[in-house]
Amino acid sequence: MNHLDSIRSEAMQAIHNAADVRVLEVLRIKYLGRKGILNQAFEQLKDLSLEEKRTSGPVIQALKRELETLLDQKLQSFAAVAGTQLSLDISMPGKKVAIGHLHPLTILEKQIREIFKAMHFSVVEGPEVETEYYNFDALNIPKNHPARDMWDTFWLNQSEVKSENLKVKNDRLLLRTHTSPVQIRYMQAHQPPFQIIVPGRVFRFEATDSSHETNFHQIEGLMVGKEVSLANFKFVFQEFFKRLFNREIKIRLRPSYFPFVEPGLELDLECVSCGGKGCRICKETGWLEIMGAGMVHPHVFEAAGYNPREWQGFAFGFGLERIAMIKYNIPDIRLFHSGDLRFIKQF
Amino acid sequence: MRFSFSLLKKLAPGKYTKENLVEKLNLRAFETVDLGGDVLDITVLPNRFSDAASHWGLAQEIAALYGIQRVNPIGLSTPDRKEVGMFSVRVKDPKLCRRYLSTYVADIKIGPSPDWLKELLEACGIRSINNVVDVMNYVMLEIGQPMHAFDADKIEDGLIIRKAKAGEKIETLDDIPVTLNAEMLVVADIKKPLAIAGIKGGKSSGVSLKTMRLLVTSANYDGTTIYNGARTINLKTDASVRFAHDLSPELAMVGMQRALQLLKEITHGTIYGTVEVYPKKASKKLLAANAKTISRLVGKQFSDAEIQNILESLGFVREKKLWRVPPFRTDINASEDIAEEVIRVSGYDALPAVRPAVALGVATEDELIVLKDKLRGFFKGAGVSEVYNYSFVAQDECGISPSGIFGLTAPVAIANPISNQFSHLRDNLAPGLMKNLRDNGRFYDEVRMFEIGKIFGKDSAGAIQEKTVLGVVIAAKNATLEMKGIVDALFGQLGLTDYIMPDLNLESKILNAKEALRIESDEHEVLGYMGSLHGIRHSAIAEIDIERLLKIVEEEREFKPLSKYPSVTRDLSVLVSRSVRVGEILALLQNVSPKLIQDVDLIDFFEDEKLGEDRKSITFRIVFQSEEKTLTDGEVDKEMAILTKVVEDRFDAEIR
Repeated sequence: MNHLDSIRSEAMQAIHNAADVRVLEVLRIKYLGRKGILNQAFEQLKDLSLEEKRTSGPVIQALKRELETLLDQKLQSFAAVAGTQLSLDISMPGKKVAIGHLHPLTILEKQIREIFKAMHFSVVEGPEVETEYYNFDALNIPKNHPARDMWDTFWLNQSEVKSENLKVKNDRLLLRTHTSPVQIRYMQAHQPPFQIIVPGRVFRFEATDSSHETNFHQIEGLMVGKEVSLANFKFVFQEFFKRLFNREIKIRLRPSYFPFVEPGLELDLECVSCGGKGCRICKETGWLEIMGAGMVHPHVFEAAGYNPREWQGFAFGFGLERIAMIKYNIPDIRLFHSGDLRFIKQF
Repeated sequence: MRFSFSLLKKLAPGKYTKENLVEKLNLRAFETVDLGGDVLDITVLPNRFSDAASHWGLAQEIAALYGIQRVNPIGLSTPDRKEVGMFSVRVKDPKLCRRYLSTYVADIKIGPSPDWLKELLEACGIRSINNVVDVMNYVMLEIGQPMHAFDADKIEDGLIIRKAKAGEKIETLDDIPVTLNAEMLVVADIKKPLAIAGIKGGKSSGVSLKTMRLLVTSANYDGTTIYNGARTINLKTDASVRFAHDLSPELAMVGMQRALQLLKEITHGTIYGTVEVYPKKASKKLLAANAKTISRLVGKQFSDAEIQNILESLGFVREKKLWRVPPFRTDINASEDIAEEVIRVSGYDALPAVRPAVALGVATEDELIVLKDKLRGFFKGAGVSEVYNYSFVAQDECGISPSGIFGLTAPVAIANPISNQFSHLRDNLAPGLMKNLRDNGRFYDEVRMFEIGKIFGKDSAGAIQEKTVLGVVIAAKNATLEMKGIVDALFGQLGLTDYIMPDLNLESKILNAKEALRIESDEHEVLGYMGSLHGIRHSAIAEIDIERLLKIVEEEREFKPLSKYPSVTRDLSVLVSRSVRVGEILALLQNVSPKLIQDVDLIDFFEDEKLGEDRKSITFRIVFQSEEKTLTDGEVDKEMAILTKVVEDRFDAEIR
């Protein structure tokens, strides 16, 4: 014990008297170095009795910390006196901080959800394995009709369904080709008025290339009420794109056909690349095809158990990848599922 | 579908330019692309094949859009002979063949077509064959009704439209032998099938350069029958595509009249009377067009007069208070359909953008969406990046996670996979993430990635289940313990304290058996697993069922007052046998005096020969703190003495 006390007072004196940084460094090595006095003291503990170990060990530890603090304080005081002498070379690059990167589709989906939530849309999800009924029949897409060829489908071998998720027995199973089945599922469980969006993964049986994928993502939307009109749809999307691109951006509506809406239409966005003048990206048209939409077809309301004379509303669906490619200038849709961090880390 | 601009203009004469027409059609009717020259590519929508998949039909649209009049190409024609010739027509199943027209034409002069006809066909992508066949094709393009001409001399008695016999064979006009099934329709004579109804003519009865007499036919078939038939024999023709869309039976007569007129002009044939089988005439459709209803749906005020103008320009006829729908408009069946006509013809550009009136309510998000957001935020902060992988995997990539960990017992196969590499639905996230590890290892020394996605599989009852799972992979020095730290930190962030991580004790192809843990709730519900990856150096994986996680996440947190009293830190170094596991000592230390010990950390660990064979050195840092008072050295010393004693006794440890 005496021994340690004398080490302590000796060291404190020496540090106090140290004239410059070099002396301090010598002292640091002498007392705290790997083979310094304190480490030697630890070594010597081995030869002591258990009782002595228990009492001395913590004392040495405490002394070690005390000296470290003193040395640092003294060093700081030199720095303060010397001014710039010891200051950091602030021109050195910053220390790299490890931050993860979210997938661009996650970032975009989140942004889209925020915009819709600000317009009072709720966000719901639905199953990716669907029944033929929800994916097609309930959406007024007739069996054995060319209209159904608009959706090339992956089928599952199993036809009998017992899963709680699906709730329909003896129907053919498939991978949903769009997020639209969630319209029916939601309406069966909720009463209008309401407005929802449905983000999710969908599947199409098609050859992949730079703009086609077998796995991709959609955002579905549905707004139902007594007076919800096509003019409301136009307002919602003018507002939506203004917020998504942070500027006024023109949209236009064109007639189209989807069996689950009537009137059915397609929405085009003024080409973000050329501002509507015509370029390679918009195939010289000045417009980018973005989504399908329309007023919910009466048959769809009937399938969901609503009275179509009582309710009306609009539905829409668009591809998340398509918007991401436009917004972030991504040339190939296959990058999204590449798992390549050189791609992900750009976002 | 290709169209000739000059023919459109002939049928709907006006002062518009091609550019203007393209623009107008795009915005008010169909997607239209100028292919150069006289050719337009117009995408007729699937519900408009009956009325608009023809020049004559489009002329009606154009007339409506420009406020002009459509020209009727068909002049009045009377047959040269009143008798119908010697051919009878019998329709066996009038539900599948709703109308059948057949006309005998004699004394024809077969030969090449006139130039105007050849050019028109070529513009629309059809090869010229001879004047008879060309007239048939022309009528299809102009009127929208597929036509067929038989060589009358090759037919015995008359025509029978019947279902094919299973296995019945026919050779098509272009020499392809086809075997039919009993669901398909044929046009036959008493001996043999002459044509696959609605799809393709047969060789034996086809028109050739020697043909002198024709049987010209125009039919209307059930769309589903033709659609399924064409798919069964994998033979898509211009005719089958049109019939599959369910044409109006009214079109059959228009087509026949136009064909006879042209055959007379071009082949100088003698036209006989037309035989018709049309047992159930299409009833006329009458619909109301209520300005209020239409305005409410569209969100723009329309007057009765505006609606009347638009409907009349499209060929609707007023009958008292209702509107008679043109017979070819099979797509118009309800008020909503009329609303579409009104808004699209008047132009969507004139539609105002009206702020919806919404009752104030709270916009919510599914709980799982909120949890996924939280997880993503956590991983971003922890330096782990997000990837998306395909939901499809190869068969041998199924079941590679610890078996049964997510309650799935068998994988789900895709009936029509795109390839063997993508034949099944993934039942774990490991295959994609492990591939990502290898791929990215080429560019990065350390890789940290996660994915949140659905997995699929059959449960023990054989039903397909889908679950939302979180997968994490790390490739770095000390990956496995880093992973364990990440799981701890994640659960801490979610406010979950009561979970345990016992040894996995489950088979898995991808894990090192001795370095794998199960992640369980305190009620022993399995949430997932983590462990070091077998075969990829310095790497670890974890997968967690986040739907289960959601059930046990405690949302509410309660603030615990900060202790007013200082903490005291002591280190404890012990030498123990290598077989002693750190986790066991740690658990013991934490439980000796839980009231005073605030935290125990492992701060040093090493194995060295100098320590003696089979020994390892472990140093713990123990933080003592009381919520009631300042602990004195003496009290801490006493606690340390107890801890030391317990560790010595339990693990045969040597205190350093």
